[in-house]
Amino acid sequence: MTTTPDGTIHVRNLRKSFGPKTVLKDINLDIASGEVACIIGPSGSGKSTLLRCLNGLETVDSGVLKVNGEDFGYQETEHAYHALSRKRLAEQRTRVGMVFQQFNLFPNMTAAENVMAGPVLVKRGDRKAAAKRAQELLTDVGLGQFGHHYPAQLSGGQQQRVAIARALAMNPEIILFDEPTSALDPEKVGEVLAVMKSLASKGMTMVVVTHEMGFAREVGDTVVFMDEGYIVERGDAREVLGNPQEPRTQSFLEKVL
Amino acid sequence: MITAIYKGSKESAGSMNAALKPRLRLRTPSEYAGWVLSIFVAIGILSSVLTNPNFRWEIVGKYFFAESILRGLMLTIFLTVASMALGTLLGLALAVMRSSHVKPVSIAASLYITLFRGTPVLVQLIFWFNIAALYPNLMIGIPFTDIGMAIDVNTLMGPITAALVGLTLNEAAYMAEIIRGGFSAVGKGQIEAADSLGMSAGTRMRKVIIPQAMPSIIPATGNQVIGMFKGTSLVSVLGVAELLQSAQLIYARTFETIPLLIVASLWYLVMTLLLSYPQSKLEQKYNRASSNLPRKAKAVQLTDPEGAAR
Ligand SMILES: Nc1ncnc2c1ncn2[C@@H]1O[C@H](COP(=O)(O)OP(=O)(O)OP(=O)(O)O)[C@@H](O)[C@H]1O
Ligand SMILES: [Mg+2]
Repeated sequence: MTTTPDGTIHVRNLRKSFGPKTVLKDINLDIASGEVACIIGPSGSGKSTLLRCLNGLETVDSGVLKVNGEDFGYQETEHAYHALSRKRLAEQRTRVGMVFQQFNLFPNMTAAENVMAGPVLVKRGDRKAAAKRAQELLTDVGLGQFGHHYPAQLSGGQQQRVAIARALAMNPEIILFDEPTSALDPEKVGEVLAVMKSLASKGMTMVVVTHEMGFAREVGDTVVFMDEGYIVERGDAREVLGNPQEPRTQSFLEKVL
Repeated sequence: MITAIYKGSKESAGSMNAALKPRLRLRTPSEYAGWVLSIFVAIGILSSVLTNPNFRWEIVGKYFFAESILRGLMLTIFLTVASMALGTLLGLALAVMRSSHVKPVSIAASLYITLFRGTPVLVQLIFWFNIAALYPNLMIGIPFTDIGMAIDVNTLMGPITAALVGLTLNEAAYMAEIIRGGFSAVGKGQIEAADSLGMSAGTRMRKVIIPQAMPSIIPATGNQVIGMFKGTSLVSVLGVAELLQSAQLIYARTFETIPLLIVASLWYLVMTLLLSYPQSKLEQKYNRASSNLPRKAKAVQLTDPEGAAR
């Protein structure tokens, strides 16, 4: 236990099945602090499932999963991994933000209240300070004027930027994005990618499942190509996208580019 | 041309401006027939009600504000409020249990719900009143020790207690289903969003799930309150002097059965009407909150300038 929480992810021989169906088969992956890793691959290849394992929305069947330098969701003893209490798991989760394809803002709260939800309702912090910080975060994502609006009163792109601000409010070391722009109108994609790009430049560790190859090439440090539950190819973003080594990567990129 | 229009609009039928002519609805013979029939039936009923001396309206008037009737009404209101409140709390607990991941817990809850919804509430009430036949003594104390005391169930389970227990336990089963229905209307994504922030199960329930489930729970609960208000009349079989039983006690003495049933019915009607007003207000409020249309329309207007600026 000498490692300090640091925004790294280490995955070894991770397996995950839903009933008889094995969705993740022997995943090995290392993500360094401050790295922007883009996960690409065909539909059903297990990208979302892998991402969801990284913040405990899915449990893993076997393998090693270290997030922020700690065994995630489990405690290792000599013979087994013991599931952590909900409280300990929640603590670990607060350090891994998640941004969903469908935004998943709380519709009963305003944009500002959504952003304050973590600091106030989870960390039990001071409400005034949280409101001030929420305002700063909303301003950062270009929504300083929209704090009092309810999600239903915001466009998709605005909602997704609020969702990013909500994740940031917990000061996570890592943020996971699951196809953050797939549910958006084409003209709103840019505003969300711009926010993500500025986040990357600030050194946030980001794991992004995306179909935006332009974003992966421009902002991504590494690209991970997944197919049928395996990581087929992983490497420097421009290398993998420009000069893929594996035939499966090549045929996938030919189809999407 | 313009002068012609002004002139036309002021003049009578023949030269009336076409744009200003009223549009008349089509009236079919069956519509007229419906009117005539309804009026005849109404007049018939009204005249019979007013002229038939057996209604004894003067007795209705005499007993409408009688002390024992008002006391019965108070007890009815108390039973409604108490068993609704307790039933809702227990129903909430059952709904949470029902959606538990721990199988025995969820099975226990659904057994409860099946049992209490599947048997008549009248039977349940009589059952609780006679529970002493099953368990004559209730032991309160620490198991396997001598510490504790025995309570005589017969004295504990008086009519009002039995009524309260019966109505509450029955209502809980219905409220559990209503609340669970409300919970299931909250998307999976909401729960995942709360979890990914590290929210505790309790906070998630209070701040995310319940507020979003309310729009579907509130109107249904309103219906339950009205149903419960009338349903309390069943406990008259236990001899609880609620509204109906109070009326029965009087007519058992005076044989003025119909007028006193009318007194009770009028009070039920008045209270139901009083209750349905806040209920329809709540329904309107939550319908508006849950429908996206007006909000969406507003959203376009609000986001436009900001979107253009980017
Ligand atoms: N909760 C679940 N229960 C059963 N099967 C599931 C569940 N979640 C995912 N799966 C299955 O696992 C496989 C991988 O799903 P996953 O969502 O990870 O794919 P993906 O790569 O994210 O695809 P997409 O690009 O379409 O989002 C799919 O075949 C899916 O049907
Ligand atoms: Mg997916």
